[in-house]
Amino acid sequence: MSETHSPAPRPHSGPPREGGGGRPGGGPGGGPRRGKRQFFRKKKVCRFCVEKIDFIDYKRVEMLQPFLQDRGKVLPRRMTGTCSRHQRWLGVAIKRARNIALLPFATEL
Amino acid sequence: MEERLYDLIFICMPTTPEEDIAKIIATLEQTATERGGKVEKLEKWGTRKLAYRVSKQREGYFVYLSLRATQGELIKELERRLKVTDAVIKYMTIRLDEEMKRQQKLAARREQRVRKRPRRPAGPSSGSSPAPSPGPGPSPAEPAAAAG
Repeated sequence: MSETHSPAPRPHSGPPREGGGGRPGGGPGGGPRRGKRQFFRKKKVCRFCVEKIDFIDYKRVEMLQPFLQDRGKVLPRRMTGTCSRHQRWLGVAIKRARNIALLPFATEL
Repeated sequence: MEERLYDLIFICMPTTPEEDIAKIIATLEQTATERGGKVEKLEKWGTRKLAYRVSKQREGYFVYLSLRATQGELIKELERRLKVTDAVIKYMTIRLDEEMKRQQKLAARREQRVRKRPRRPAGPSSGSSPAPSPGPGPSPAEPAAAAG
């Protein structure tokens, strides 16, 4: 997952990502920017919207796990593409699961 | 008063014998029925690893109950009982009926929407160009915008 926190129109000097660095044709997620090198970025969609989930069950740990970092932090929306409503519900579910020791608050080393 | 739906999970020491766990569950069920509640679902998840240490234990025996109650007093009593039981190291009760109501509402609305316009031709889900570009690859469909 690539970060998307640089909407500035100047050439991005970060490391080359997947898709062979800059491409003249903008991808569907990039949007038209004037005459600069752009990175192709796949548009992320909310996984819960795709699967039409109205209630995120805190008991299903294997469903929540992909939205956590290795150390147990919640992944931000810009990484996972979750929509704001589902991210909110996801936060509640993760907190419940943490409360009953299904998920860690922080993984100890 | 309307009925409320609760989830009750408790964790026992991994060393607790099965009979003791059965006894704990039986008392909880009895208390629930005595006070006008109803145990809808009962699941023994068995011994699982805990995500963090609880009472110096790394594992615990999980029991999950789904119950309906009309008064909060019942939950208070159940939690008090779990608190005084030595074998129980952690417990949690969650009220879920409002979320379930919301879920049903959303599902109903979605169904209605589907019924309203059945089988809409699948348009381009992302991007504004109406050109039928195959796949999300870098298509030359928008040269005017990109070339600048």
